[in-house]
Amino acid sequence: MERELSFAEALNEALREEMRRDERVIIFGEDVAVAGGVYKVTKGLLEEFGPNRVIDTPISEAAIVGAAVGAALMGLRPVAEIMYMDFLTIATDQLVTHAAKLRFMSGGQLKVPLVVRTQYSLGRVHGSQHSQFYPAWFLQSPGLKVVLPATPRDAKGLLKSAIRDDDPVLFVECGLLYHRYKENVPEEEYLIPLGKADVKRRGNDVTVVAVSRVVREALEAAQRLDERGISVEVIDLMTAQPMDSETIINSVKKTNRLVIAEDSVKTGGLSAEIAARVAEEALEYLDSPIVRLNSPDMPVPFSAKLEQEYMVNADKIVDAVSKLVG
Amino acid sequence: MAVISLAQAINQALREEMRRDDRVIVMGEDVGRRGGVFLCTEGLYEEFGPDRVIDTPLAESAIVGVALGMAIYGLRPVAEIQFADFIYGGFDQIVSNIAKIRYRSGGQFSAPLVIRAPYGGGVKGGLHHSQSPEAYFIHTAGLKVVIPSTPYDAKGLLISAIRDEDPVIFFEPKRIYRSVKGEVPEGDYTVPIGVSRLVREGSDVSLITYGAMVYECEAAAEKAEKEGISVEVLDLRSLLPFDGEAIIKTVRKTGRPIIVHEAPKICGFGAEIAAFIAEREILSLQSPIIRVAGYDTPFPLVHEHLYLPNERRILDAIKRAVSF
Repeated sequence: MERELSFAEALNEALREEMRRDERVIIFGEDVAVAGGVYKVTKGLLEEFGPNRVIDTPISEAAIVGAAVGAALMGLRPVAEIMYMDFLTIATDQLVTHAAKLRFMSGGQLKVPLVVRTQYSLGRVHGSQHSQFYPAWFLQSPGLKVVLPATPRDAKGLLKSAIRDDDPVLFVECGLLYHRYKENVPEEEYLIPLGKADVKRRGNDVTVVAVSRVVREALEAAQRLDERGISVEVIDLMTAQPMDSETIINSVKKTNRLVIAEDSVKTGGLSAEIAARVAEEALEYLDSPIVRLNSPDMPVPFSAKLEQEYMVNADKIVDAVSKLVG
Repeated sequence: MAVISLAQAINQALREEMRRDDRVIVMGEDVGRRGGVFLCTEGLYEEFGPDRVIDTPLAESAIVGVALGMAIYGLRPVAEIQFADFIYGGFDQIVSNIAKIRYRSGGQFSAPLVIRAPYGGGVKGGLHHSQSPEAYFIHTAGLKVVIPSTPYDAKGLLISAIRDEDPVIFFEPKRIYRSVKGEVPEGDYTVPIGVSRLVREGSDVSLITYGAMVYECEAAAEKAEKEGISVEVLDLRSLLPFDGEAIIKTVRKTGRPIIVHEAPKICGFGAEIAAFIAEREILSLQSPIIRVAGYDTPFPLVHEHLYLPNERRILDAIKRAVSF
């Protein structure tokens, strides 16, 4: 059946379907129940599943993730929501020291099948403490999976896979995209596997690896470059950990040029790891330097104009690609 | 000149700065009466008293949060996190407040504070007392990140960090606190933040490293020398800002960079250095950029000797680079 859903609606459907399928799936976080989530991702779940499975928590991120670890250890499948990715810094110890390590520490006796959903709000004029995109931190915490959907369809399929995964998954959504547009999302059940990148557009001249919000910018840039006779392959990373090097490297072998575009500050971002992998495993295929397009190494500016300057966009991608092929 | 350990050099830096400037305050778990679990703050409580050497509760968030308040009000706090692994308890204070206060206040406030933390493996500390979390902080704009590898640098860098107007995360490689000794001048000197140290000159391969791995790299370089491979070793000393000029210089010279660190490979600091080289200096490369790092697993207790990069693994990488 054809129908169109927004990013938020697709996520809501994923949660609802998984909660119907498996009563161990529970949801908790700040304002997820009565209010249906500040961005309406959990809308209607309290009404359908009741207060034992959809739980409003205090404003205490360490408690939210800590309780999720406990619930997961005892056999539930919690999906905890952290309202802004910035607030994950308060729960980092629970995530990094406990969730990520318990399987390893217990010699495989324990497992922690939880999902921490969060969103970043870059581009919404939310200031330096409500806009940050920091998935790279959590790659340094082996034991976690890190998923970064860019489209409604992918968001639904990836979230369902994350909930069914036996290990902890950090699921980072882009707040700016929640209600921005709709696309076809299949009504029948489907899963999108974790750990696979997706080639969103085929091309021959330059590979652009993009993450989350920036995937749409990359596709727009590719369209504009195509009109000028430059053929761009756009890869949506989708999962950062485990990272699908194979898809990226196969593309670089074909195009011999790589641009990586994402929303974090540049130093130490996901783009660094992608660049490092290609420079380690496919150096001989490169015809030009690897280009990273990130935000500058500074806090996110509050001024709307400065924030727009701060962000990677289609114009910047077009410029970078043009320079590489020119 | 006195030959002292890295831990003693830290102690000397703290003592001299506290004598010089009464705004310098030391605080942390067991730093006062106990003198620190690694004895880096030994004797400070006796000399400077409980108002300037403060034993705190076990609350990392409070330790760094209070340090920020003190720094904003004009003091120069040096907060200790007992093991770098515990720094996540104070992560929000560091990332959301300490790193951003200068920017958020439009330059009206700054946070001249130092957070010291022993880090790294090699002491049979298991997975909660052996980690190397430096990559979290190089990916946080507004911080400086420093890691010394010698007693001389430890003292000179710590003095620079205390005098810096911005927050500095100062990671100390605990496995060499005592095992590494060196000449350290008494009295005032500084080692500038952001400048690397060329440990050893060579022409075939560049080992780019920091912390305790400097010694593994030196050992591997010596072995390689015997096999006719000339290896340069660069000790970065500062990770943020890092000495890009020196990295480019050594890459231009050898064309074969290898980055060595203890932290997991994926998205570790080596990724940033590799990406930096691949962006700026790709035409100088004679071999792929190789990273020798911890594995992408939690830090193992019984297998830590396999997890940590060592002479053998670094030597393998050197051979891979020259035979490419």
